[in-house]
Amino acid sequence: MSGWGVGGLFDGLLDPLSRTFMQHAFVAIVLVGVICGVTGAFVTLRGLAFMGDALAHAIFPGVVIAFVLGANFLVGALIAAVIVSLLIGAIGQSGRLTNDTAIGVLFAGCFALGVALISRQQTYTRDLSSFLFGTILGVSRSDLALTAAVGATVLLVMGLFRRELTMAAFDRVFAQASGRSLFAYDQLFLLLLSLSIVISIQTVGNILVLAMLVTPAATARLLTDRLGVMVALSALIGGVSGVVGLYVSYYQGIASGASVVLTATALFAVAYLFAPRTGVVTTAVARRLHHPFPERDRFPPAHDDGIDPRALPGAVAAPGAIGDDDPTAADSAAPRRRATPA
Amino acid sequence: MSGGTTGPARLEAAELGVHFGDRPALEGVSLALHAGETVSLVGPNGAGKSTLLRALAGMLPPSHGEVRFEGRPVRRPNPCVVYVPQRSGVDWSFPVDVLGVVLMGQAHRRTRLLPFLAGDRAAARAALARVKMDRFAGVQIGQLSGGQQQRVFLARALVQGGEVYLLDEPFAGVDVPTQELLIDLFDGLRREGKTIVYATHDLGQAARASDRVVLVNRRLVAAGPPERVMTATNLRETFGGQVVVVGPSGGPVAGAAADDVPTAGVAG
Repeated sequence: MSGWGVGGLFDGLLDPLSRTFMQHAFVAIVLVGVICGVTGAFVTLRGLAFMGDALAHAIFPGVVIAFVLGANFLVGALIAAVIVSLLIGAIGQSGRLTNDTAIGVLFAGCFALGVALISRQQTYTRDLSSFLFGTILGVSRSDLALTAAVGATVLLVMGLFRRELTMAAFDRVFAQASGRSLFAYDQLFLLLLSLSIVISIQTVGNILVLAMLVTPAATARLLTDRLGVMVALSALIGGVSGVVGLYVSYYQGIASGASVVLTATALFAVAYLFAPRTGVVTTAVARRLHHPFPERDRFPPAHDDGIDPRALPGAVAAPGAIGDDDPTAADSAAPRRRATPA
Repeated sequence: MSGGTTGPARLEAAELGVHFGDRPALEGVSLALHAGETVSLVGPNGAGKSTLLRALAGMLPPSHGEVRFEGRPVRRPNPCVVYVPQRSGVDWSFPVDVLGVVLMGQAHRRTRLLPFLAGDRAAARAALARVKMDRFAGVQIGQLSGGQQQRVFLARALVQGGEVYLLDEPFAGVDVPTQELLIDLFDGLRREGKTIVYATHDLGQAARASDRVVLVNRRLVAAGPPERVMTATNLRETFGGQVVVVGPSGGPVAGAAADDVPTAGVAG
């Protein structure tokens, strides 16, 4: 590579950083990517993507009211988030309605309230779009300080309660049986999720914040089977998506929120296709090369008959249930190992 | 054989009733469980076996009557009463390894937010060794067979170290070696003076691996040693005619000696 190319690349990377509003934008998007990455890991594991989307929409009226009153919109969003997460938890407890339904009612109603409030403003269209899609170039120093403070709180609490939250996500009955209040932990998590969403609204906007919660975490899940590694990877992917997306936005004139989300989506696509053990292309190639792959049967068929065929030496497995070249078929007591190629 | 069915009850249900809304799941169940005995709860699906176990564990508030542990009313889960849930209630694709699941059993001991110590890990590994799963410590749980998953649950329960073990369908969908291991483990715990209560719909398993059988269908049909309780009349009353009894003379399933027990299954 020529010196000119490297120099040009460096200039290209450094140029945006010479402007204050871009410095703020970079710090903000990295904070958001990391914090949403961590919270998002638990969102995906608990299957709460819809809840995340709903919360993002439901805090909208808080943002609008703060805007109308001339207060900091983060404060309005925070207040709305706390109220909404408590309401969702309470309605979910009532039993007759499914949680999904409760969320749907609340989120659509709140969002409509926000739109109604903002439609009375003179600058309706511009204001609405800035809330929906973010105004990352308008992040002030005080916004950054608030984002960092809220984000640090979220990460600290998540870190302290990581085992408890993991237990409540993995085995709810056990968590309850060992004396935990699922309601309390669910509320705690909803609150952390709301805070993560609130600090993301300015940078990626109301609509796309879901992607920051779900996409990096989903990508990380494809790459590892370990929760700690998944959380770290998710945060890393969120931060990298933010930085790369912002550069793309700067040079291509693409809306920043969309650019960041598209970057995260592209990273997901790469992992989906080429992840070392789970990628679609990777496993297809491996199969073609005649490497029997252990992940093929990582979701073993349920054995409702009470007998695990793999445990019976010499037993004939049901056709198609387990490949007859299954290297572990004869030795159920051994951990699944990668088979050596023939 | 009959275990310690004398002396004061360790865990007991007194006229216990549990309703879900208007629907009664259990009514008027009185049952005393003692130190050093293995008790199986037998009944068809929907008979309230899981409900009874959860009520005994302090996870469900009784609608009528009460549950008592060592004479005191149980209103919330108690660390001395260990509940082992059904495998089917868990997300097995969750990114956690075997040791991580077993360590969850430690969490109630100290302040929940502090990190684990070396001793916690050693105890978890020892529990895994007891269920012959120590070589699997680093394996993601979804890659285990059903029997291996059940063993991991047992190891977690051992780490909790209570006086009473309540197990929901521990024999469901597990391989033969795991069934043998479960029976040995229950035996060992019983000799240590623990109380083991498990739900099953397998009559043969219940006859073979318990000191007392409790037949349940919404209410308590009969309770006592397998050979006394598992009569054709009682079984018909419990299973409502769906039961297929295969005994030496087509009679009631009797005897609890390990090898010559006739098997009986529940149709449907």
